Amino acid sequence: MLFYTTDHLGRPVAEKKNLSRIFRLKEAVQKANPGICTDRSDIWTSYHKIPDNRKKSPHIRIAEALREVLMYKKIHIYPDELIVGNYSSKRVGGSIFPELHGVPVLLDIFKFSKRKVNPLQVSGKETWKLLKIIPFWSFRFLALKAYRSPFQLIRLLIHQLKGHFYIINESGGISHIAPDYAKLITVGTDGIVAEATRFQEKSGKDTEKWYFYEAVKIIANALAKFGDRYADLAQKMAESESDSNRKQELLEIAQICRNIPRKGASSFQEAVQSLFFAQIAINLESLDNSVCPGRMDQYLYPFYLKDIQHHKLTRDKAKEILSAFSIKTSEIIPVFSEYLTKIHGGMFNGQVVTVGGLQPDGTDGTNDLTYIFLEIMDELRMRQPNYHARISNHSPQKYMDQINQMLSGGSNSPALYNDTVIVDTMVQHGYSIEDARDYTGVGCVEPVAQGKSFSSTDAALVNVPLILELALNQGKRFGSWFRSGAKSMPVEKMQSMDDMKTAFEVQLADQLSRLMKDLQAIEIANRKYHPTPLSSCLLDGCLESGTCSTAGGARYNFSGIQCVAPADTGDSLYAIEKSVFIDKKITLPALVEQLIQNLSDKQLRSYLKGIEKFGNDHSDADKWTVYVINKFTDELNRYQNTRGGRYVTGLYSVTLHEYYGRITGALPNGRKMGESFSSGISPSNGMDRLGPTALINSINRIDFTKTANGINFNLKFDSRTLRGSTGKLALKNLLSTYFRKGGMQAQVNVLDPAILLAAKENPDLYPNLLVRVSGYSAYFNDLSLEMKDEIIRRSSLTN
Amino acid sequence: MNKDEPVHFFNDNTVIFDIQRFSLHDGPGIRTTVFFKGCPLSCAWCQNPESQNVRPELIFYKESCIQCFDCRKHCPENAISDHSMLRFDPKRCTLCGQCVTQCLTNSLRMIGKKWSAADLLGEIYKDIDFFIDSGGGITLSGGEPLLQANFLFQWLPMVKEKKIHTTLETCGLANWMQIEKLLPWIDIVFYDLKHMNDSIHKKFTGCGNAGILENFSRLSRSKSGLQARMPVIPGINNSVENIQATANFLKSNHHFSIHLLPYHNLGEAKLKRMYSQQHPMNIAPQNSEQLKQTQELFEKEKIHAVLYD
Repeated sequence: MLFYTTDHLGRPVAEKKNLSRIFRLKEAVQKANPGICTDRSDIWTSYHKIPDNRKKSPHIRIAEALREVLMYKKIHIYPDELIVGNYSSKRVGGSIFPELHGVPVLLDIFKFSKRKVNPLQVSGKETWKLLKIIPFWSFRFLALKAYRSPFQLIRLLIHQLKGHFYIINESGGISHIAPDYAKLITVGTDGIVAEATRFQEKSGKDTEKWYFYEAVKIIANALAKFGDRYADLAQKMAESESDSNRKQELLEIAQICRNIPRKGASSFQEAVQSLFFAQIAINLESLDNSVCPGRMDQYLYPFYLKDIQHHKLTRDKAKEILSAFSIKTSEIIPVFSEYLTKIHGGMFNGQVVTVGGLQPDGTDGTNDLTYIFLEIMDELRMRQPNYHARISNHSPQKYMDQINQMLSGGSNSPALYNDTVIVDTMVQHGYSIEDARDYTGVGCVEPVAQGKSFSSTDAALVNVPLILELALNQGKRFGSWFRSGAKSMPVEKMQSMDDMKTAFEVQLADQLSRLMKDLQAIEIANRKYHPTPLSSCLLDGCLESGTCSTAGGARYNFSGIQCVAPADTGDSLYAIEKSVFIDKKITLPALVEQLIQNLSDKQLRSYLKGIEKFGNDHSDADKWTVYVINKFTDELNRYQNTRGGRYVTGLYSVTLHEYYGRITGALPNGRKMGESFSSGISPSNGMDRLGPTALINSINRIDFTKTANGINFNLKFDSRTLRGSTGKLALKNLLSTYFRKGGMQAQVNVLDPAILLAAKENPDLYPNLLVRVSGYSAYFNDLSLEMKDEIIRRSSLTN
Repeated sequence: MNKDEPVHFFNDNTVIFDIQRFSLHDGPGIRTTVFFKGCPLSCAWCQNPESQNVRPELIFYKESCIQCFDCRKHCPENAISDHSMLRFDPKRCTLCGQCVTQCLTNSLRMIGKKWSAADLLGEIYKDIDFFIDSGGGITLSGGEPLLQANFLFQWLPMVKEKKIHTTLETCGLANWMQIEKLLPWIDIVFYDLKHMNDSIHKKFTGCGNAGILENFSRLSRSKSGLQARMPVIPGINNSVENIQATANFLKSNHHFSIHLLPYHNLGEAKLKRMYSQQHPMNIAPQNSEQLKQTQELFEKEKIHAVLYD
């Protein structure tokens, strides 16, 4: 059953219009202007303004504040809805978290509605409400509490406003979890309260553990009451509803919300509704980003099967319920300042839903729901959720064919993940084989175990080319008197690439040690001031250990540090080796002088650009990018996070490669000052000239066991290349070779450059053109001009 | 290779002017197409005019030249000219390649590079995994690969030993004994039939068609993987008479299909960059309607015609 159809640009096909509920829901969400909701910040502030509340144990304080939010935030049930619950008071909206990154964000308060990129609606009254809370939080937000020394504070302020070397996302909260929704829909909040009570009885009163369990009980009960509020609302709406069908639906919704999330779900619809309430609440607890439902096709399947067997559900109805859920996830957007928008463009929330792949016992888990989800992602093509598909040696041919059909047809979902490589990497990092097989992506591309990992996968992103700049100038930025790195060998004395490598490694070690100092202060601040009892009760290990996930209570505790622009850095190192030490075209000091002059010598620049680059199956060039990644990982391995876990390397850059590029000087690979770096693990822009097979061979030279936080590999095609059955087959074969030879992740972009150019010229004609940005999708119109240009560049492999 | 050296046919090395990976439309699966340099024909519509001469040759990209004239400083023959379209004087140039290595903007390029059999094998072998999974392989194109038959005698057995699928694209003008000797190493032959009229064929390609047609007939008797193709050149070979003649020829050889390659004028842009006697044809590329007509004419003659786009 097809609810409605869209053409390849995501535009609804006219004659099918208004045929279905799902179409109407989608239209309502896509037409809504995103806005800022002040409910959470208002209620959070009122609670914290009471001095007695501020004196409570932080576990209790957070649980009670969140309980107040769930009790008093505005709730709505919109027309046609099957799955109910609103993240914010706006149809599409986001909240402010004043105690986290809220204050730096609020500095933009007068710009939100006027800015060009990702404007957010906020009324005069709401602006006033937000202004009122600034004084209270100005000296109380998390990052400020984290840094006690004035020197670190100044650096923090500079970093918050203008990060050059690295950006720490944890100062806005952690999140990035795939909660144990299987548990919630099985035992309900009552089950969780009972479990917490059992553990609490064994721990002494007024201990840290006791408070943690108390907090879990408070928030679990509050979540149940949140359901009751919708039950009451649905009941009331049913009474005044004139349409008898809708009246019946509302009564059923009331019944469902009365039962869950308090109790275990007794039907498929109850299960979906239950986890969606938790999805909303967790997004209001800490950072509202990358709270991931994860492997829905796996943990919902028993409920689906049971209802189907008892004839309480049809496949079409299940699809309608999941479509309604899917649309709901697009109703939340992050509220970012203009500066943060540059880093995380496209109003992306990172709610990953993963389908397919192995089950914990090693057999294939593809089922009916898997296929339903594939249909939904192809038909809806909305910003959220971020759909991932797992591929294993046991994936059925039908599954592979359907995915291939979608991708070559221009759907940019799902992104593909290779079970063989990822499970192996996770096991090497200490996961049990069963937990590793139960992985899902969170955020953009980062693998975690469903319901068991508390991995701050997006902890920080490092500007690696800038570290090379320091290595070429004894720890100073070009043209600066101030030393921002360590002291390393001056270029005049460098005799070989070994000297160059040593200098790079010295600067890398120095920057990462600075990062660790700042990051770990933030980790501790999160634990001390912003524990997360709700997230924790849905993460395996926290209740058993009586320890919040922010303090290391979960089973697995990693932190992901992103190595941004490894290819630009690797290519630059190779360009130095080739031009200075092999071809002897130029001396290293002269090269550095040219970099300071922004490569004003055109001949030199074109010579540098002509040197082989990563991505062309050239082993001498490729080995330098691999070197950068390996060194980065080795250096991270020297540290342990404050939750007792490892730091792991991720190769994705969100939209930060563009921002970092803008603030970084010229590089030996021929890139001029201010030009964008390449995204994720992509070759330097436009530098992969030998087509996708060569590119794949280059990518597969990377040791993916060193990139445990995931990679973002964009395979880009213009629509002409993949036309017809020949093209479809070629894509399928290309991907199967990539994965067979040990590729980790890929996402396919099939775009017509002409359409993108047209969309850039006339944004109004292409309101819902969805493109892959960096491990996630965004509407083309939501991107900055620079990012639009980059997507256009990407849209074709052959320039 | 100096231009005054006599042309000889290499045994263990050859001249290649391009290697294209991820080729999708020259045979089954994902393929690597190897473009050999040198062709016995000089078709007026040639898409790759730089492929005709068997020797390497110099071409000039005026749009990227920054007029630094570093090339002049290094040219031993004083062959660098001020001409804005062609930076070198072909009468003086000996193809020593000094200017090419000096040109930092890559505006002077040598078309055609010598490859040894081993190196060429290594290059195509890079995509072996893609060949295996997709049922692909290599396609010999050009130019005319058969012009380098002596090299192929050596090289193709090495390719076949690696179990790589091979496709040959040929104009058909070659010594039959050589073709016959190569057949065991070639899985598919794409064979161009340009025109059935000998004198028109000679006018537009520089050679008559007798040998080409004879080789086709012989091949159709001995080769199962043979496929006829025709570049459709508006006003030259898409007339009803020529199509009927081609269809009759195919049927007389028990061959019942043809692949139609639409003409486009992309190759003509390259003429300006090189020293060539050829002139652009200035024919407008045909629209899909006209191509469909050609296709239908073949179908009417009971020849299955596949249209490339």
